[in-house]
Amino acid sequence: MNDDNSVLTDSFRRLVADIATPERTRTFEAAPALEPVWSALAASGFLDALVPEDCGGAGLSLASVFPLVMILGEHAVSVPYAETMVARALLAANGQQAPDDAAIILAPPSPILPNGAAATHALVNDGERIALVRLVGVGEDPFRAGGATGIQIGDRLCDLPADGFDLGLAAAGLAAAQMAGAMSRLLSMSLRYANERQQFGRPLGKFQAIQQQLSVMAEQVISVQVAARTAMSGHGFNVAGVAAAKARANEATHLVNGIAHAVHGAIGATEEFDLQLYSRRLKQWQLAFGSESFWAGQLGRLRILAGSATSADFIRDHLCDGAA
Amino acid sequence: MLTVDSFPATRIPEAAEALRPQIKAFLADRLAGMPASRRARTWSGFDADFSRALAERGWVGLTMPKHYGGAGLDAFARFVLVEELLAAGAPIAAHWIGDRQSAPLLLHYGTEAQRQAFLPRICRAEIFFCIGMSEPNAGSDLASVRTRAVREADGWRLNGQKIWTTYAHKSHYMIGLVRTSGTPEDRQKGLSQFLIDLSLPGVTVRPIRLGTGDTDFNEVFFDNVLLPDDALVGQEGNGWAQVNAELAFERSGPERIYSSLVLLDLWAATLRASPSRADEERLGKLLARLAPLRAMSVSMTGLLAQGQSPLTEAALFKDMGTELEQAIPGEIADAVATRLDTACDPELMRTLAYLMQLNHVFSLRGGTREILRGMIARGLGLR
Repeated sequence: MNDDNSVLTDSFRRLVADIATPERTRTFEAAPALEPVWSALAASGFLDALVPEDCGGAGLSLASVFPLVMILGEHAVSVPYAETMVARALLAANGQQAPDDAAIILAPPSPILPNGAAATHALVNDGERIALVRLVGVGEDPFRAGGATGIQIGDRLCDLPADGFDLGLAAAGLAAAQMAGAMSRLLSMSLRYANERQQFGRPLGKFQAIQQQLSVMAEQVISVQVAARTAMSGHGFNVAGVAAAKARANEATHLVNGIAHAVHGAIGATEEFDLQLYSRRLKQWQLAFGSESFWAGQLGRLRILAGSATSADFIRDHLCDGAA
Repeated sequence: MLTVDSFPATRIPEAAEALRPQIKAFLADRLAGMPASRRARTWSGFDADFSRALAERGWVGLTMPKHYGGAGLDAFARFVLVEELLAAGAPIAAHWIGDRQSAPLLLHYGTEAQRQAFLPRICRAEIFFCIGMSEPNAGSDLASVRTRAVREADGWRLNGQKIWTTYAHKSHYMIGLVRTSGTPEDRQKGLSQFLIDLSLPGVTVRPIRLGTGDTDFNEVFFDNVLLPDDALVGQEGNGWAQVNAELAFERSGPERIYSSLVLLDLWAATLRASPSRADEERLGKLLARLAPLRAMSVSMTGLLAQGQSPLTEAALFKDMGTELEQAIPGEIADAVATRLDTACDPELMRTLAYLMQLNHVFSLRGGTREILRGMIARGLGLR
């Protein structure tokens, strides 16, 4: 990442921290509503970050936007901000424009649509085309985390050819990046707690058993972050990159959530403690847009069909930074 | 703190990638007909002729300056070379330690005379090196070494014992970490590194036979060995710092993720005929773990090339990498033994058996899991 990018990232992190506070997340969970978070985030000007410059956007690459998507996950943002960024760019590239106030989710087939509870619009598959539709209702929010088990579609505003863009891939790729962010929040909270909480006369973090668990947790978090970064390092989302990222994120969630809650003890699961805001969302993401077995199967099949001489060749061709 | 930003997104430069096709062509020719069960040994496979053939191409000591007999290429070129050697299962143990550690150590800390005496011979694969760190009472607790070198009028008098020294019986020199002052209670202080000629009087190398029948490891005894003055590498008493500088090189490379790659690819090839959904998922999960690790290794190659020493990052990478290398034989065993009515390909069985009997040591060599996790914990601010 270059310096410009890290300035961008730092300012976005401060902004999101101010807007999407844990208190607001709790209010949202009680009654999902776009405001006040949506308008404040929209005012930041990042919604058109991925829209090409000649269409009036910032023309940033997916790679530049990756840290921003992670930050949304880090702060449990439960409105479809990252999804709307991608949707607006796709629409703009096809000469279409989303309504200014549309909060758009990507809605490929999935048991649950995180960030769907308060969405106003969706991109859906429609045969060979992708359609932008208005939502007239959403399904249940079984995690109380701003998700929706389904959507009820109203007007169809426009459509575009689906060639070259796979809604399921984009949704899973963005999910992996937001999961990576939520995991880094769990890690930083667990480290802080381990250093503060005293048991048997010393901080938890001084116990070797705890240290080793937190080291494993850090490994898993960084592995997911690197995989999610690779998935967003090309011109678009590709199957291998997304498959590795989502499979990795889902698999790591078991360990990462487990260790975070083990270090915190029961307090971590309480309403008043923030930890559960992120861990419940991670579990919701596990159910969305393909499980670890689903994506691992895709990746394995691709490896077998690709016929690469070695797995190192396969990774270089399909799974390294910038692989198309 | 350790974060994803500790591993900056890094691409291998074109110039380094340009080397890849030549290496592939050389290996395809040279390794033709070598069975997978032998190729699976990769950096444990000792073949002096192979190392010399590589050296003739200029591929030993790739990063050494040209005036010392090297190719003067960068760390990324070496990553490409090593990645291809490991993926193909080339037997590279003979020159491996000299190439990876001893030559860079001598280039960095050696005297001009030492560089001129040793680097060209390493680059020609004429001399092979081993590492003398572990002792019977100093394994993970490396700072407690007891082997001692005492200064005398005409050099250093060396007494003590090293253990688990890989290929000492086929090496010409050892880079040994020994005590030059104080006692084991002084820990990191008073340690120094020496270039030990293993043909000197008083050096005894005794092989350690493993349950598998392999004899890669040795005990090395030093009984009043007289080392010349110029056997000291770097500064007297600076051994600990010098060894730590080597560790980032030792733990960050693709050999920490590819030790079971020949097996993985052999198995993947058998799936082409009749892949089951479960096999595809198993293969995919392993690749999903492997890909970010490769990205991390490339990233650390860039950091090392910039002169940084990503020690904690390397510990994190190696712990995860060896865990994956260890998981691969287990996963494949599970897959193979799920198909009870299908005969296992004999070469797949031989390769699997070799790695299943070896994989538990992957996390012992080069720093144990528990030590690495302790280092990570320190990097996370817990210690």
